[in-house]
Amino acid sequence: MFLQQLVNGITQGSLFALLAISFAIVYGTLRLVNFATGSIYMIGAFFGWMVVKFVIPNLFLAIFAGALAGFVTGFILERFAFRALRGVARIASLICTIGFSWFLNEAMTVLFGAERKSMPSFYSDTAFVLGDVGVSWLQVILVVVAVVVLVSLQILIYRTRIGLAIRAVSLDFKTAGLMGIPIDRVISFTFSLAGAMAGIAGVLASAYYNAIFPYMGNIAGLKSFSAAVFGGLTSIPGAIIGGYLLGLIENFGVQVISAGYRDIIGFVILVIFLLVRPRGLLGRKSG
Amino acid sequence: MQTLPATTPAGRMKDFFFRYRIVTAILLTIFLVALPFLLGNGYYVRIATIVGIYVILVSSLNIIIGFTGMFSLGHAAFYGIGAYTSAMLTVMAGWPFWAALPVAGIVAGIFGALIGLATLRLQAIFLAFTTLGFGEITRIVILNWRSFTRGPLGIAGIPIPTFFGWTFDRNGYYYLVLVLAALTVAIIYRVYHSRIGRAFVAIREDETAARSMGVNVFGYKVLAFTMACVFAGIAGSFFAHFQRFVSADSFANLESFAIITMVALGGTGSIVGPILGALILVVIPEVFRFLARYRGVIYGLILILVIVLKPGGLAGVKGIFEKPKAAKRPRKQRRPKADSSAPGGRI
Repeated sequence: MFLQQLVNGITQGSLFALLAISFAIVYGTLRLVNFATGSIYMIGAFFGWMVVKFVIPNLFLAIFAGALAGFVTGFILERFAFRALRGVARIASLICTIGFSWFLNEAMTVLFGAERKSMPSFYSDTAFVLGDVGVSWLQVILVVVAVVVLVSLQILIYRTRIGLAIRAVSLDFKTAGLMGIPIDRVISFTFSLAGAMAGIAGVLASAYYNAIFPYMGNIAGLKSFSAAVFGGLTSIPGAIIGGYLLGLIENFGVQVISAGYRDIIGFVILVIFLLVRPRGLLGRKSG
Repeated sequence: MQTLPATTPAGRMKDFFFRYRIVTAILLTIFLVALPFLLGNGYYVRIATIVGIYVILVSSLNIIIGFTGMFSLGHAAFYGIGAYTSAMLTVMAGWPFWAALPVAGIVAGIFGALIGLATLRLQAIFLAFTTLGFGEITRIVILNWRSFTRGPLGIAGIPIPTFFGWTFDRNGYYYLVLVLAALTVAIIYRVYHSRIGRAFVAIREDETAARSMGVNVFGYKVLAFTMACVFAGIAGSFFAHFQRFVSADSFANLESFAIITMVALGGTGSIVGPILGALILVVIPEVFRFLARYRGVIYGLILILVIVLKPGGLAGVKGIFEKPKAAKRPRKQRRPKADSSAPGGRI
């Protein structure tokens, strides 16, 4: 039982970590919480599902399609809703992301209907047995994809030119602009990157839970935002730790409390944690 | 109040109404009292009643978002808490409606105060996060705590209120919500133009400056938040007795977003704005029934378009979504477009 919860926790933790990073990179550069992240996750899942259903049933192609859909959605979101609002009070952008999220959810409901769609099962054979717990190939792939994405993001941010630009913009917006960094393009890229992460998480989640519906992103987005806050909201390693921690806490928590309350366990713990340490696990000190 | 001559059409209109305010008030009162007879159709009276509920909800959320500049994303949770409190007190404990109504407001206010006390010392974003989560938690707890709330079945058979032996009919509900909404707007108006209201606005404009002028920022924030929750609870209690059935679905996060859209459309930080916002966004979907499927899409679009294109909302006051004055630089200095209030973080 312990091993089973551990495996489930790590699998779900990977999904939370991907989404939490999506929150963290946007918050890190723009100091803005993108409440549409959950909806981009949903969009990614839907595009992945469409590829599997209408083009070719290949999980990896679906992941790519989801990433692309997330990238484009993130780009559109930034281009049409945030560039215009950059000098305005932050609440305007925040509420704008909510409007966008709602718009996406409802648009998908109108287009595809509110009922659940299912993904054909991929790689459901057992990869290896841990104690008495069978781990499926899908779970292995899920964790590996998440780790690969996380590592490549780390390389992108710390080893490339665009990563340097992102770090500069996140440190100081104005000065970065004065140094000749095209901040509009960097911010646009960051948003799109965050969207791609959410899209990948969406496809992986839809394969794992085998359910795709327009409101799938709401709870997932909220929980991953908890994970990001857990890690301090501005730090990528923090978001990763927060994501895995949330996955584990949730799965072990269900053993103690009724499963109906599963979605709020992490949240309640987080609120208590925040009262003790408002800046999160690895967050920087700020007012 | 209006000392400077108004130059905009909206300002001139406001001046006009201000000059003839007594006549306007009398005419408006007569109109609102006569409305059920003018509408004739019972269905229309019902819609007018729903508008009244939303006027209370939107005006109260405006205290939080528009006056004080805080992010609350879970207003429907307090509305739901009020509705459930009232439903449980009257159905399970046999209380009369008139005793349950204020208690519903108080219980919602207590929850609001607790959340405010816990999060309002932290960065502003935590209130947004906690209220959003609280909305979800409220729904999940209502659905799962079967022995207490009857879970997904909801609470049915909520008694119809009586007034000195007279049982409420459709018009009775309308007049009751009219009185409640008028009281809410009047109280909010008086608070806005008092010392407390000025403290709220000072916090919205510049928290540090407000603090340095001796405003108890934390105290006033908690006060604003709690006040708004009390009104939401009262609206919930009325809703429970009007609908005579409550279930968790009526108070999901979507409901909170609808209320936010109404605030944004009407105009944040204004008294009339929320009333306009509630009126338009309740009536339009009823008129264009064939658009019912697209209700959510339209709300989302309206929210984005209002914020991007017309940040002041319909009331046209300087709302919280408009650019601060300092950001309006001469055209020549195109770069940096940076937002001085968003210093950026660290990855």
